[in-house]
Amino acid sequence: MSMFNRNDKVNDTNTGTNAGTNPGMNTGETARLPEISPVPAPPAAKPAQPVAQPVSNIAAPRNIGVSVISKALKITGQLESTEDIRIDGEVEGDVRAVSVTVGSGAKVKGTVYGNAVELSGTIDGKIEAEKVVLTSTAHMTGDVIHRDLRIESGAYIAGNCRPEFGKNEDRAAHSASKPTLTGLATKSSDPSAIRA
Amino acid sequence: MTIPPLRAFRITPRDPKSAELPASHLGQALTAEGFLDTDGDLHIHGRVFGRVCADRLVLGSGGYLEGDVVARDVQIGGRLSGRIFALNVTLDSSADVTGRIFHHEVTIAKGARVDARMPWRPPSYFESLTQLPEPRP
Repeated sequence: MSMFNRNDKVNDTNTGTNAGTNPGMNTGETARLPEISPVPAPPAAKPAQPVAQPVSNIAAPRNIGVSVISKALKITGQLESTEDIRIDGEVEGDVRAVSVTVGSGAKVKGTVYGNAVELSGTIDGKIEAEKVVLTSTAHMTGDVIHRDLRIESGAYIAGNCRPEFGKNEDRAAHSASKPTLTGLATKSSDPSAIRA
Repeated sequence: MTIPPLRAFRITPRDPKSAELPASHLGQALTAEGFLDTDGDLHIHGRVFGRVCADRLVLGSGGYLEGDVVARDVQIGGRLSGRIFALNVTLDSSADVTGRIFHHEVTIAKGARVDARMPWRPPSYFESLTQLPEPRP
């Protein structure tokens, strides 16, 4: 049945780009159409294509930009990205990305590597990043290895803060400008890591 | 690493209140390894190796997932190698699935590449799903 509807629709669109509206629809909408011509097409086409809907949903290029671990998600394992990650949920494992934002209420148990790390939630482990920001709601248990550190009033931190990010290490220094994940992974205190 | 227990399977759709849970979004550049558990929606456009439990899983057309999926609704537009345990499974035309699809209802779009067994299961099977069966060849 929907197929017939769609055929009707095709005939309608011959009259204009935004003429997806059924003749049966109210005249108020058709009067409004010319001002916002690109916009009304989807709502008008909607009733006719319930079948095709899921496909077009996926094809839409929403896959660019940051990754979001929402508050309902718990990840046990590693996360690695060449873009940004925002964590509002729970991660048990290491996180590597260009920029990591740990939102308030989020929990990370493990090491967070990145060029920039902003912490508003809880990290139990370690931060290794060029630029580290601990906001007023941050709760950090463990060491912070950084080059540039900002701690807001109210932040909790139990651990050492060492400005050693990228020191004595060619690869880490290199990764500061270009975020190669393997470079970030090496520990500054571990000489065997450099050899590898 | 300890294996987290399987999240309780939900057969009925979420109530509107919990539907406000923001969806998680794993972007193209992201590679995740391990166990992903959520009560909400999960969109994967990157690569995931491991077990995924969600209410609704969407694997985007550029996404790759290797492992088992347990969810109420699953929509696949990318590559999946592993098993699906879901009430409703939708395979889009860009889907490429290898493995097994345990389902109650399945929709396959024209053009989807499916190399899988698709055993039908009653809803009670999913309800009592507390442990995934051992993978068989």
